[in-house]
Amino acid sequence: MKIAVLIKQVPGSDSPLRLNPAGDWIDENVVAYEMNESDSYALEEAMQINERSGGGEVVAVCMGPDRVQKIIREALAKGADRAIHIKENDHGETDPLVIAKVLSEAVKSEEFDLVLSGLQSDDLGMGQTGVLIGEMLGMATATLVMATEIQDRNIKVKRELEAGWFQWVTLPLPASLAIQSGLNQVRYPSLKGIMGAKKKEIKVVEKSDLNGGDSKQSLTNLHIPKAEKRTEMISGEADQSVGRLVEVLKSELRVL
Amino acid sequence: MPEREVLELDVLFVGAGPASLAGAIKLNRLFKESGQDASVAVLEKAAEVGAHSLSGAIVDPRSIAELFPNYKELNIPVEAEVSEERMYYLTEKKKLPFPYVPPSMRHHGCYVTSIGKLTRWLGEQAENEGIDIFCGFPGTELIYDADTVIGVRTGDRGIDKHGEQKPQFEPGADIHAKVVVLGEGTRGSLTKQLIRKFDLMEGKNPQVWAIGIKELWQMPQGTVTPGYVAHTMNFPLGHDIFGGGFIYGMQNDILDIGLVIGLDYKNPGIDPHHEFQRLKMHPWVRSLIEGGEMVSYGAKSLPEGGWFSIPKLTVDGAMLIGDSAGFMNGQRLKGIHLAMKSGMLAAEAIAEAFASNDFSDASLNSFADKVNGSWLKDELWKVRNFHQGFDRGLLAGLMNSGLGLFTGGRGWGLKNKLPSHNGHELMQKGAAAERYADLEFDGKYIFDKVTDVYHSATSHEEDQVPHLHVSDPDICKTKCAEEYGNPCEKFCPADVYEMTGEGEDRRLQINFSNCVHCKTCDIMDPYQIIDWVPPEGGDGPAWVNL
Ligand SMILES: Cc1cc2nc3c(=O)[nH]c(=O)nc-3n(C[C@H](O)[C@H](O)[C@H](O)COP(=O)(O)OP(=O)(O)OC[C@H]3O[C@@H](n4cnc5c(N)ncnc54)[C@H](O)[C@@H]3O)c2cc1C
Repeated sequence: MKIAVLIKQVPGSDSPLRLNPAGDWIDENVVAYEMNESDSYALEEAMQINERSGGGEVVAVCMGPDRVQKIIREALAKGADRAIHIKENDHGETDPLVIAKVLSEAVKSEEFDLVLSGLQSDDLGMGQTGVLIGEMLGMATATLVMATEIQDRNIKVKRELEAGWFQWVTLPLPASLAIQSGLNQVRYPSLKGIMGAKKKEIKVVEKSDLNGGDSKQSLTNLHIPKAEKRTEMISGEADQSVGRLVEVLKSELRVL
Repeated sequence: MPEREVLELDVLFVGAGPASLAGAIKLNRLFKESGQDASVAVLEKAAEVGAHSLSGAIVDPRSIAELFPNYKELNIPVEAEVSEERMYYLTEKKKLPFPYVPPSMRHHGCYVTSIGKLTRWLGEQAENEGIDIFCGFPGTELIYDADTVIGVRTGDRGIDKHGEQKPQFEPGADIHAKVVVLGEGTRGSLTKQLIRKFDLMEGKNPQVWAIGIKELWQMPQGTVTPGYVAHTMNFPLGHDIFGGGFIYGMQNDILDIGLVIGLDYKNPGIDPHHEFQRLKMHPWVRSLIEGGEMVSYGAKSLPEGGWFSIPKLTVDGAMLIGDSAGFMNGQRLKGIHLAMKSGMLAAEAIAEAFASNDFSDASLNSFADKVNGSWLKDELWKVRNFHQGFDRGLLAGLMNSGLGLFTGGRGWGLKNKLPSHNGHELMQKGAAAERYADLEFDGKYIFDKVTDVYHSATSHEEDQVPHLHVSDPDICKTKCAEEYGNPCEKFCPADVYEMTGEGEDRRLQINFSNCVHCKTCDIMDPYQIIDWVPPEGGDGPAWVNL
């Protein structure tokens, strides 16, 4: 199989987040970045699919500024065969439509059998990339993928539904799959893998050279929710205080 | 079961700090110059280079200039050249400027720098020059052939808290090398094994450490002068505890504030983290952080013993560099340039060993000669009795180092070598004096340990064997509780150690996932029953610019 895996670099989950002075993005100076969690499962799945089906190529595709080279190298060390880095000059595009457009422009000509992405990115959590790319490249698409099985020119996938239910769907190839975290056991890079990664190809493409169109959505302002502690003592007769309690639950806390 | 990976290399540096990175770069260049086809690699326990780096830091660019003569044209990440220097004697409410800043504390031509950024940059240079850096791989064992070091084993991954293999278990790798260079920084875990095995401290002064606690503060725009430097003495430590404060201005209105505390204090009730919080209660220090927000926290120990506490540097197949060997100038609170220089001198010795194909102690020991013949020794020799002078308190210490200025470093102006003592042995038994009654954790300027630890962004896989090995936990609830009142709860700046339960159920709980890898417990535990070993690869702080 020829498989593209879309990987994104996101702030580490233990990194404290602050806003930049302009208040329109986080302060990147104090953030330690890492590979988006579900993307690393997608990468592992791609490698396992090829190991099971007897070969092929895994190409890691990543959009972002120079700092993303770190996770590209990590993907290559773990076993991706080569990589495409779509270079951005600022902190990164945030409009999912443009992101999907640029990514699909970048991979279009390569005619991949599969495009794997993580279910959603841990920073913005839009969860649209895999689906939009499937549409743009005319591929069958599945989300929340928990298991995969290649069957000739089809792929059978297990999807996670609500309340502990699952669904098996068979899709024709080529397909775009958005992978759920936890479906496999992500491997660690080996020392030889790390040494070998240096010799692998990283193709760098400028984002501006790919026709992503204009952003229809942008971030104008971020804010950190103020955690407030407030205590209201409800006193009085039982029937009155119950009334007030119900009112608070209904109209202020909106849990009823 | 997955197979153990085995890798054959020529030279392996352990720890991607300034010492190893400078050493690896230098060595790789020497190999290229002599046409020697030899591989050089660096092992680092952090997930990325720099994530476990913490320092002040004011950097003396001497070694950087030797390694990168055109460093001013390179994009080397310094915050600013030191622009304004102050030295204050603090009383509880006042600050008294020192009438004159001694030459050792003058920083003309030095740079305020984040060591995290510097090591990341050095790491990039090393990789660009063809050196492999393996991040997320702690060295956990030295591999021997008889008494010759022939390599390093890295830590297993995927062992659960009972010591059983998890599904993702992968055994550590064996890296064989002709020379292993330990640049693990302060109180290295492999270094400790090597020093013990070969008795490398024989005839030396015991090493003395200090702990540095540090916070980064984001101040309002335009309020911090990059390159501003202030050092303080006395408050909150007083005259009996070695140490002092540092305040450095970085770019983007970030202020570094820290406190260094000698790990040879006597009162078992001392809590270095709390001392640091008290520093921020000083009205002047408070005024500096007024309106700001604390954004990062960390702590790390540093070797303070100086020249006479440097162990024998080589054995068959291995050598010690940087803080692992104790190349730190305690008087100047500077080790980065010395660490780099020691790595570079080690590189020269290794290149010669390759030329003669002899990696024995006798051959590698030319490293010691090179140290003796370099400015590294000159610098450390002048301050060789600095820390020892503080055994009798701040004023005595200052007088000793003042006299030393006129006598080329003699102790009390007379003695060539003053003795030092193991810090943990100086701790006095008996009830500790309460020092922190006035400390109010307001969550804005003064923080408890848990809040600070959160800002160190440290994390550890919870399902693993705690990496703090306490050989006899019974001592904690019996002897130690009685004699010292469990000082581990206090000296640990990350709330790792906690005595829980009552009566029969009293026991030591180890919250190892809080650990910031400062090594203080390994150093300061009065019974020396705590052994710090590296946790799973990649675990630990995620520091960016400390
Ligand atoms: C609070 C404080 C303030 C300081 N201020 C200054 C200053 O202003 N100027 C100055 O020049 N110096 C200063 N120093 C000293 C300076 O930081 C050190 O001397 C210097 O960092 C030593 O460099 P190193 O390479 O020997 O060790 P380190 O910088 O400590 O690097 C060691 C590396 O090895 C890794 N490691 C350790 N064990 C293992 C293992 N078993 N396997 C794999 N990896 C491992 C660590 O994670 C780390 O990345 C300060 C130190 C402290 C603590």
